[in-house]
Amino acid sequence: MMISPLLAAADTAGVGVAPAWVLAIPFLPMLAVVLTTLCAISKNKTKLPAWITVGCLAGSFVVTMLAFMTLSGETNTVTAWRWFDLSWGDGVGQQMVANLGFYIDNLSLLWMMFVTGLATLIAIYASEYMEHDVGKGYTRFFFAFALFVFSMLCLVMGDNLLLLYLGWEGVGLCSYLLIGYFYKKPEAVAAAKKAFIVNRIGDLGLAIGVMLTFVHFGTLEYAELFNSAQLQGYIAAVQEGRAGDVPLMAQLIAVFLMIGAFGKSAQFPLYVWLPDAMEGPTPVSALIHAATMVTAGLYLIARMLPVFLVSEWALPVVAWVGTITALLAATIGMAQFDIKRIMAYSTVSQLGYMFAGLAFLTSTGGVFHVVTHAFFKALLFLCCGAVMHGFAGQLDLRKLSGLWHMKGWRIVSVGMLIGCLNLAGVPFTAGYFSKDMILAEAFVTPGYGYSLLGWVLLLTAGMTAYYTFRVFFRVFTGPVQFEAGDEHHGSDDHGQDGHAHEDHAQGHFHPHAPGIRINAVLATLSVLAVLAAGLYFVSPDKHGWVGDMLEESTAHNVYTADHSAAAMFVIDGDTHGAHGHDDHGHADDHAAHGAHGGSILGMDPHKVMYYVSAVFGLTGILIAAWAHGPKGLVSGFIGGRVEAGKCRMDGVAAKLGPIPRWAENKWYVDEFYHFILVRPLRVCSHIFHMIDKLLVDGLVNLFGYLPRLLGRGAQPGQSGVLHGYALSMAGGVGVILFIVVMVTL
Amino acid sequence: MIATLAQAGFPEAMSGLTLYHYLFISAVMFVLGLIGFVTRRNLIVMFLCTEMMFQASGIALVAFSRFYLEYTGQVFVIFVLTVAAAEAAMALALVVLLFRRNESLDGSVWSLLKG
Amino acid sequence: MAEKLAYLWPEVTLFLATCAVMVIGLSPSAAVRRLCPLISGLSLAAAGIFAIGTTPTLADGAEGLMPGMLPYAKAIIAAVGILIVMLLAGTVDRGEEEELAAGVRKFDPLRLTSGEFYAFFLFSLTGLMLTASADSLIWLFLALELTSLPTYVMVTISTARSRAKEAGVKYFFLGALGAAIFLYGFALIYGGTGSVHLGEIHHQITLQMAGDGLNGITLAGLLISILGIGFKIAAVPMHYYTADVYQGAATPVTAMLAFVPKTAGFLALILLCSAIGWHYGETGHALPDTIRLLLWVMAVLTMTLGNVLAILQTSMKRMLAYSSIAHSGYMLVGIIAGPGATFTESGISAVLFYLLTYGVMSTGAFAVIASLERTHAERTQTGELAYDEADSIEAIRGLARAKPLLGWSMVICALSMLGFPLTVGFFGKLPLFTSGIAAGELPLVIVLGINSAIAAFYYLRLVSYPLFDEAGDEAGGFITTPMRTRPAVAAIGAVGVLAMTVFAGPLMGLAHDAVQPKLHDSDAPIADEAMPTEEAEPVAAK
Repeated sequence: MMISPLLAAADTAGVGVAPAWVLAIPFLPMLAVVLTTLCAISKNKTKLPAWITVGCLAGSFVVTMLAFMTLSGETNTVTAWRWFDLSWGDGVGQQMVANLGFYIDNLSLLWMMFVTGLATLIAIYASEYMEHDVGKGYTRFFFAFALFVFSMLCLVMGDNLLLLYLGWEGVGLCSYLLIGYFYKKPEAVAAAKKAFIVNRIGDLGLAIGVMLTFVHFGTLEYAELFNSAQLQGYIAAVQEGRAGDVPLMAQLIAVFLMIGAFGKSAQFPLYVWLPDAMEGPTPVSALIHAATMVTAGLYLIARMLPVFLVSEWALPVVAWVGTITALLAATIGMAQFDIKRIMAYSTVSQLGYMFAGLAFLTSTGGVFHVVTHAFFKALLFLCCGAVMHGFAGQLDLRKLSGLWHMKGWRIVSVGMLIGCLNLAGVPFTAGYFSKDMILAEAFVTPGYGYSLLGWVLLLTAGMTAYYTFRVFFRVFTGPVQFEAGDEHHGSDDHGQDGHAHEDHAQGHFHPHAPGIRINAVLATLSVLAVLAAGLYFVSPDKHGWVGDMLEESTAHNVYTADHSAAAMFVIDGDTHGAHGHDDHGHADDHAAHGAHGGSILGMDPHKVMYYVSAVFGLTGILIAAWAHGPKGLVSGFIGGRVEAGKCRMDGVAAKLGPIPRWAENKWYVDEFYHFILVRPLRVCSHIFHMIDKLLVDGLVNLFGYLPRLLGRGAQPGQSGVLHGYALSMAGGVGVILFIVVMVTL
Repeated sequence: MIATLAQAGFPEAMSGLTLYHYLFISAVMFVLGLIGFVTRRNLIVMFLCTEMMFQASGIALVAFSRFYLEYTGQVFVIFVLTVAAAEAAMALALVVLLFRRNESLDGSVWSLLKG
Repeated sequence: MAEKLAYLWPEVTLFLATCAVMVIGLSPSAAVRRLCPLISGLSLAAAGIFAIGTTPTLADGAEGLMPGMLPYAKAIIAAVGILIVMLLAGTVDRGEEEELAAGVRKFDPLRLTSGEFYAFFLFSLTGLMLTASADSLIWLFLALELTSLPTYVMVTISTARSRAKEAGVKYFFLGALGAAIFLYGFALIYGGTGSVHLGEIHHQITLQMAGDGLNGITLAGLLISILGIGFKIAAVPMHYYTADVYQGAATPVTAMLAFVPKTAGFLALILLCSAIGWHYGETGHALPDTIRLLLWVMAVLTMTLGNVLAILQTSMKRMLAYSSIAHSGYMLVGIIAGPGATFTESGISAVLFYLLTYGVMSTGAFAVIASLERTHAERTQTGELAYDEADSIEAIRGLARAKPLLGWSMVICALSMLGFPLTVGFFGKLPLFTSGIAAGELPLVIVLGINSAIAAFYYLRLVSYPLFDEAGDEAGGFITTPMRTRPAVAAIGAVGVLAMTVFAGPLMGLAHDAVQPKLHDSDAPIADEAMPTEEAEPVAAK
């Protein structure tokens, strides 16, 4: 082994060497971790940790942009150092190499850009948001924040699955630390534990997937894996319609990786942790639980798409699960009253869209939605956070109204409006374009009931628009009314910051409008969320900028794996069969759209979807306006709400019987899990406990007992008497010499 | 290697038999030292026994040196003697220290640490 | 001669510092006396830098058989040595200095021992570095004795308690016995091969083995000297003193005992075994059966006895002492496996890497213990002040909550010593396993595996007590020592464990390079061809 830091990873075809300065991207956040630790040690009581974090993250973002400008379109790796390298023979699969190396291609660049960019903005926001906790808690917050960004970058940039796994666990840990940030609050601790445990199930899947990958392909490095003849062979087999030739093991890899992705990205049935995770500070919800960490599962599937393509079931399962999640979460979101939770459910729902998008074999749609969603959902969360910050923790939409008309809240309101328009998919917003792409592909892609999924997703789009604008109309429009929350966003030190909060005990409550830093971040994000729509027009022939980006990466793999699609390729001609995974001509794919004639109402889905989804979205908004809109918005049909707590929907809900209540109680999924998992587990555990006592304990005790017995036997030798030792030593030397000589000579 | 002393006009090499006599003496001394170390209680006597073991090596070294007709073994002995002297100094210092504490030179008194 | 001096610069530096420390330790000014540990640390740093700068060559025959080992071994000795000197700072003369500062007593150079204490420490490390550079039996003997003799004194004077005297007497007398045994072995090796020079011995042994096998005297010499060196590494059957001495000495000195003599012993074993058998890996031959069996028996007994005895302990120092025995047993597996082409097949580089790993993590663990001391100093019967450190494992209950720095350092170091995955202890133990497998020593590797599992029984106590338990009554009786360097060493140990986990690859690479032959330029191509390592094409397309 040679110690050459910055040793180039590979001569593998098509993989170049990235310059060493790329290493600064993950290591600047690491520097922030180190510096905040030093702040903690020196018991710093200023806002220094925040500025350290912001500085390092901004540096990281700048370097990322540089990397984007110089390296995009190529696949490069850069190795910091050989992390470990084990070999137990010379054959394939007998050497395991995992470098601390980074794999820079367009897919990772995309993630790196929005992770570092959003992290910088949210760190600025948090520097104001968390200032009531300046001191130990503040430092702890930014320590975990910077560590999160580092882990996330490891996850995204790692050039092997092991580093991805390390980052995966790292973000899980940071998420746990940050959800449980208000550790004196029992709900926060319970939520942190829930998130950790549910994620464990997913992580187990990922771990098994990684191990199987190594066992089957003999490598964990992307460069080697994607170029391996084995994988290429499988892809070719699938393309030629011989999917049965792919060994079961290779297919299982995708399934296990998928379980990992479902856990981290909060998909059915593992989504239950995400809404509870909102107990954490809002900047955390925005960064980790809306924009970045929860998209790790998407990244995993996009990154490993070639492996997913060789499995017959993995992607259809992803599509179905994604759609079910989208629908389920949207129905729950419609009935919630806590605005942060509504946003949480909408995140789960939108993640479902993205998964469905990936599974419809248009990584472009899925990933585009990841990017646009990252911006507008972060914006929405930060607006909610500003509300929560200003109203002493009040999040109930029945107790807030008319913020638009209040002094100092205009930027928040505009930001919220922009976010809501995006989320609802109103025409010409970024969310509209990205969602349309997914919806259209659902109808285009032949598969196991995909067009049904398309209709379900359309319906969900309408529901999304409804619950989004329900929040907006209730909280931001209408008469100015509010009640303060009963706590200061979970902070444990109540009276420290002196604004307003002492007053409200006496009935006076002055909400405090966000300060300059929060407003600046909200404004920036609003602009970015609006501009994100422009990405669609950058390379229109390739489905926008994201499509253009992905074309150069392994995630670009449109229409190659599905059965019927594969069959069609064979009929189509020889152009496709021979394609490797990363050199598809996109024009060919485009031409293929028509060929396997998915259609909606007999028209080209991509065109018609613009109108259909716009209709669904606007209908949702109209219903929201009718039910929740304020009086006088447009006199007559719309609005009519004059109080914060009452609206037309109450009457409708009363007629629907118990259904709204069920939805409000999240369809009793938590209770269901408790009933079918926790309760039987308890019973089982009692049974196992008995078996354990009798049998396993016996064995373990034996294993524990034998060494003890041996020790007891040897202990008299340690008599503490000098000549006893001398005798034992001399005797021991004699005996051992005798034995050794007798045996060998 | 072997020729250095012979070239200097030194007498003939030692016979193998004579060498074994010396080695026997050295082995006996070593074992006696060991037995003494194990059986005696007095710290000074115990230390003298280790000195005897050191000197057993010294005898073997000198004998080998003579056998091979070169100086290396003898040089080694000088170094061994030096180390032995250093150890003796330490042993005496230790013995004085211990005697002041316990008024006894019995090695078995020091047996509180055990297990 | 001049060439020899060129790579003895680290030792020369340490020796000069030794002289300086011995003099200024007697200064009437407390401020000057306090410079002693600083000078010791700086000289170690300088020695380490000199060591890294040396590039030993083979052709002039001035070096031992493992010339590449020199810079690596001396650098890790200097690195861990700095940690230990930080831990040792202020250990002796503490009551004395306090009384001087309070004006209770007048300055009397005869009552102060700190000058000698640091001087002895530096002497010992000089000896240790000399062991690494040894090229003949005389040198090796002198270096080993230079390593050991000062430690006898250090143990004895480390605290005012009688247990330190008891530890001293046991350590010294049994140490003299051990020295006599390996000296006798050396004499016989000289007799059997006609030379004290390791290179020449290797040549003679190769000739003998090519003929009718090893000459009886040589074989006896080798067996006896390996058993004698077993005392330094605390291997069965020479391990009896270990627990008593470790427990009796003041904890900083214990930390030193866990690293210094063990490293000396292993370096000596590597040199001896390289003279016997495997010379530069695959080009040489394996160890003779008898010697392999001896090491085999020693390894199995050492790790098993160490672990089973450690389980029974309630004193942390005794527990770590027995675990130190067990770790020696693990490392003997690497010695048996011998060198190999790649890092994971090379037992010797595994041992060298493990020495560093063990040095850092055990020093960290001992530093935690050394940082906890009783709230009040007591007077011994001779009227000296004794500051008792924590020893019973009860003292660390709930430590992670009460004193997070110390508690977490203990948790991290203990997990690493256990060989928990993703700690450096794991990466240290892994090549011992793989090299054992590569050498075909499967039964030995299985024993190693079982022993690693047994070790979990007691290491997990060191993890769970600070982490999950509530502080008991006994833990309340301890405070963090006012000597700031000790908790610092605990923290450095823990951070070191984590950092070495991240940089395991490069460090392993250094350890692997250390066992490669470094030839003169003219011979270089041979070396390159003889050692086809995997670095040529790390990710070669398969």
